[in-house]
Amino acid sequence: MALGDCWKQLCWFYYQYLLVTALYMLEPWERTVFNSLLISVAGMAVYTGYVFMPQHIMAILHYFEVVQ
Amino acid sequence: MARTAAVANFKPKLNHNGLKCEDTEKNGYRSRKEKNGPGTGFASRQHQQESFEQAPMYVAVMTYLGFGIVTLFGYLRDFLRAVGLEKCNLAQEREEQKDFVPLYQDFENFYTRNLYMRVRDNWNRPICTLPGPVFDLMERVSDDYNWTFRFTGRAIHNVINMGSYNYLGFAENRADFLQTVADTMHQYGPGVCSTRQEMGNLRIHEELEELVADFLGVESSMIFGMGFATNSMNIPALVGKGCLILSDELNHTSLILGARLSGATIRVFKHNNMHSLEKMLKEAVCSGQPRTHRPWRKILIMVEGIYSMEGSVVRLPEVIALKKKYKAYLYLDEAHSIGAVGPSGRGVTELFNVNIDDVDVMMGTFTKSFGASGGYIAGKKELVDYLRSHSHSAVYATAMTPSVTEQIIRAMKCIMGKDSSTEGIRRIRQLAENTRYFRARLKEMGFIIYGNDDSPVVPLLLYMPGKVVAFAREMLDRKIGVVVVGFPATPITEARARFCVSAAHTRAMLDQVLHHLNEVGDLLCLKFSRRKHFSPPDLCDETDFELDS
Repeated sequence: MALGDCWKQLCWFYYQYLLVTALYMLEPWERTVFNSLLISVAGMAVYTGYVFMPQHIMAILHYFEVVQ
Repeated sequence: MARTAAVANFKPKLNHNGLKCEDTEKNGYRSRKEKNGPGTGFASRQHQQESFEQAPMYVAVMTYLGFGIVTLFGYLRDFLRAVGLEKCNLAQEREEQKDFVPLYQDFENFYTRNLYMRVRDNWNRPICTLPGPVFDLMERVSDDYNWTFRFTGRAIHNVINMGSYNYLGFAENRADFLQTVADTMHQYGPGVCSTRQEMGNLRIHEELEELVADFLGVESSMIFGMGFATNSMNIPALVGKGCLILSDELNHTSLILGARLSGATIRVFKHNNMHSLEKMLKEAVCSGQPRTHRPWRKILIMVEGIYSMEGSVVRLPEVIALKKKYKAYLYLDEAHSIGAVGPSGRGVTELFNVNIDDVDVMMGTFTKSFGASGGYIAGKKELVDYLRSHSHSAVYATAMTPSVTEQIIRAMKCIMGKDSSTEGIRRIRQLAENTRYFRARLKEMGFIIYGNDDSPVVPLLLYMPGKVVAFAREMLDRKIGVVVVGFPATPITEARARFCVSAAHTRAMLDQVLHHLNEVGDLLCLKFSRRKHFSPPDLCDETDFELDS
């Protein structure tokens, strides 16, 4: 059904990601290493955004004198 | 661009018969009326369409990204091996030699250890039947990520063969065709046990040499037992120190090896680029040898008929015009084009309808279109007689086996029509038709294909290393055997799959291959072409040149 199709589509996207980054050629543990590195870096970026975005937005609005 | 203009200017005037008439002049090249071979009612090609489309930028970026990631992991694995956390399965220096000059640290070894070994199940696959249009493969699996293989004992049957150089389908084992070969084997035995100059010159060799000379329309020819050795051992006999060799960028290793062994100065011109060649010729004639400025003893231009990695065809009329203007010699290597192009299979000289005497040294191999092994050099009688005594191959290499010689004789007679059947011409036409159909359909589907529309070698660009490997595996799962090539045989960003169309492929087989290619292309996202798809070539007579400079 829709969930099955969605899962197939996600599998296909993961396959494309493996092909493009050439992880397809590497062994499973190397894939794990690379994926965890990528997820940790992405996670850190998201966390930093979450922590600092309100301050940055307030600073921008203050600069443009939209809010005091 | 200038390249387009150069091609568009070359339109020979035709008289009412369709034969070239006397007064075509371009760069001093004057064409004479040619006696056309059998089955030709039309004159030379009026245009050659070659395309080398560039992929979009993101493809190049992703290719570099893929290679970068695998290289980083390669360094990691090398580190683990050096530290001792992982067993090294390849050759390593001994403990006592660790202070010596390192043997395995160069890029080539790094590449082999960390990229090639991971995926080498796609190459060197053992086959169990003859390499006809379909064949059987042995099934093999690996338990340790391709360091070692073991055979399961089963075979994969009826895999369509898109990788063998079987252009005219002579790699066959029909008993009625091979009767003469079997008889020759009974008569002469398998081995010759001598070189041509000692006791190995058999009557059958002389018969083949006369046949080759007749086939090509030259005075005389000489055959050798190995195609690679034909190039590498005969070029040193023709040129030496004080001579200049102008060789195309993408020449085969045998030509490069022969040129290096000869001791002549080698200069490389850009692939099929006449401006680059002319500039080099001009400079060579004006400046002479590097320090002394004496004139060069000989200038030899080395080109191939069809370049096997690109599928492009040499611009023969223009090269001949240049060679006549600057008084150089021409060495034409027709390994892939003899038997495969031209209305009666005589190669690129027939394709462009040039005078055979304009090409000084014609070389070719019997491995591709004739289903045998060996090579030949043909030309004027003085040249061939000189080679008979001065070539390394003639003096030191064992002569060609009689049964192989007979196979070439029967294949060549078939092509020439001398066995009083139309089988030869039927195969040539079938190959031309298969080539056109296959290329047109692939372009229509949206793949990037390199090369000339007449060449039976079809490189399909894959670019990314992960996709190269996945493509080969997917096609094998669908029972189609393809050859994929990556670095170092091609530039690092242009990995490709190379298809060799054969006259033995039926339309049904090609359709099956194309159907699976379509599916795999969608699955792996390989359709990078950005050109607008135009109608099949036999419906339009005006081509649009989409050449990227």
